[in-house]
Amino acid sequence: MAYVSVESDDRFEEGQEGLQFRSFLGDQSVPTQQNGGGSQATSRGPTGFWTVEYYQPFFDVDTKTVLKRCYTTLLPTSSSYLSTHLTPAADLYGPFWTLTTLIFALFLSSSLASSISAYLSDANDPVDYNFSLLSIAVSLVYAYGLAVPVLLWLALRYLGVGEWSVVEAIAVWGYGQFIWIPVSILCVIPVPILRWVLVGIAFGLSGYFLVANVYPILASAETKAVRLMVIIVALLHAGLAISFKVLFFSYYIVKEVGPTDPLPTDPVGRL
Amino acid sequence: MDHEITASTPLTSTSQFIQADDDDIDEDDIPAFTHPSIQTASPSPDKGKARASEQLAPPFGSVPTVSGSIGSTSGAGAKSSRQTVGGVQVETRYTGVDTLDEPTSKTLTRDLLSIYSKLVQVLYPRRSGSAREVLRDWDLWGPLILCLLLAILLSTNAPPSQSLGVFTSVIVIVSVGSLVVTVQAKLLGGRVSFFQGLCALGYCVAPLNIAALVATFVRIIWVRAPVALAAWAWCIWASVNFFDGSKIERQRILLAVYPLLLFYFILAWMILIQ
Repeated sequence: MAYVSVESDDRFEEGQEGLQFRSFLGDQSVPTQQNGGGSQATSRGPTGFWTVEYYQPFFDVDTKTVLKRCYTTLLPTSSSYLSTHLTPAADLYGPFWTLTTLIFALFLSSSLASSISAYLSDANDPVDYNFSLLSIAVSLVYAYGLAVPVLLWLALRYLGVGEWSVVEAIAVWGYGQFIWIPVSILCVIPVPILRWVLVGIAFGLSGYFLVANVYPILASAETKAVRLMVIIVALLHAGLAISFKVLFFSYYIVKEVGPTDPLPTDPVGRL
Repeated sequence: MDHEITASTPLTSTSQFIQADDDDIDEDDIPAFTHPSIQTASPSPDKGKARASEQLAPPFGSVPTVSGSIGSTSGAGAKSSRQTVGGVQVETRYTGVDTLDEPTSKTLTRDLLSIYSKLVQVLYPRRSGSAREVLRDWDLWGPLILCLLLAILLSTNAPPSQSLGVFTSVIVIVSVGSLVVTVQAKLLGGRVSFFQGLCALGYCVAPLNIAALVATFVRIIWVRAPVALAAWAWCIWASVNFFDGSKIERQRILLAVYPLLLFYFILAWMILIQ
């Protein structure tokens, strides 16, 4: 590939074959007419948002970094997450794969719980697992983990509040859901009180992480009313916790109480 | 559909030029050579333009003026080219072979042989250099067949009310999963060609097909679980072999492999819980 360095005088000349290659390597060519002020020494050239190169800066992480960002969301000292851990830039790998792993963990634990409960129950009907739960999990988790931060960021931009980028918002929400993965694995155990306790712990930890990290952004607004948006964040998170519990963690062992009924009715009671 | 080879391709950081191998052109593949058995064979209906005149008189002396490239599945002398259409890089393949004049069985056997050889290469890779070139001629027929096979196997074992849901989920998971893993590897800085990645990941689903077949007939959990886990490990090993050549940095290699683990594990789990 030949690079022809074009100088300002050559602007209206046709050049060799009527083609002028403009090099974007800052050290090789003289900055040309329009880009005279704007050419950077390390420019990549104009890339659109549809190219892979546009998104590469958001995936510039190593394994250790991603793991560290994941488990530090569990610590109570995580209120300065944005400044201490998401440096120099937030990434998109962690949030996306945490959410995807969460979906699969919910599906796994739910199906495992249903088989174990059916196995240990007295009524030995063959259990068919409800596959629609997988698509419900996908929509629920992605809607909460991706759409809510984007909407919040848009709302804050509209109000002129906050200096964070949409990638940081997605990162906070995505990494914050990490606690649900071990909790959903543990919720296979079919003891009701244990499941409620686990869901409560997960809700508490992740809710605290979200609120502690979002509140400083909201607090930088002039009007006090914007701080009330943190209540919306907490309410949405509570809704998520309850829907997880009801949809995925509710397969229980059904044991017969009392002597068996001599009349041949089916479980619903119709003859 | 005719493709044209562009004279120049934009050199980007992620492009990888595939060398064309011209060493398997035999006499039959030279354009304008009329195959002697043309009068008995019917023109293959799914390859290229319909030439009705072929049925009326055997074209003994006629020379096809257009040597078009038909389909992207022929292996002999195939070249891959990249063009930029509206800012988006697309890959096309030009076979360089006129396949309209040969009998359908010959075309099909060539395609089936190519699928088989790629399958063997992915599942049991040999270290010799010529064997690895097989994957350069990517095709998407093999992944399609394997994906459909897996979806059919799993959906026939599902309860009737859910069999359509299972079928859809498997196809969506396999296709979207391969897409996402390939794009992820590119984003992490790996040098992997897009369609080659799709092709290799699609072929790597083959061990799970074997596990699904076994799971159709065997109901004992103590047999199905180890078989499914072994198939999962085999898939991972086959796809990591492929990504080894993509030059991802060492401290990120787990980041690139983890989506594969997830993707194949969810398929193995769906096989297990039938």
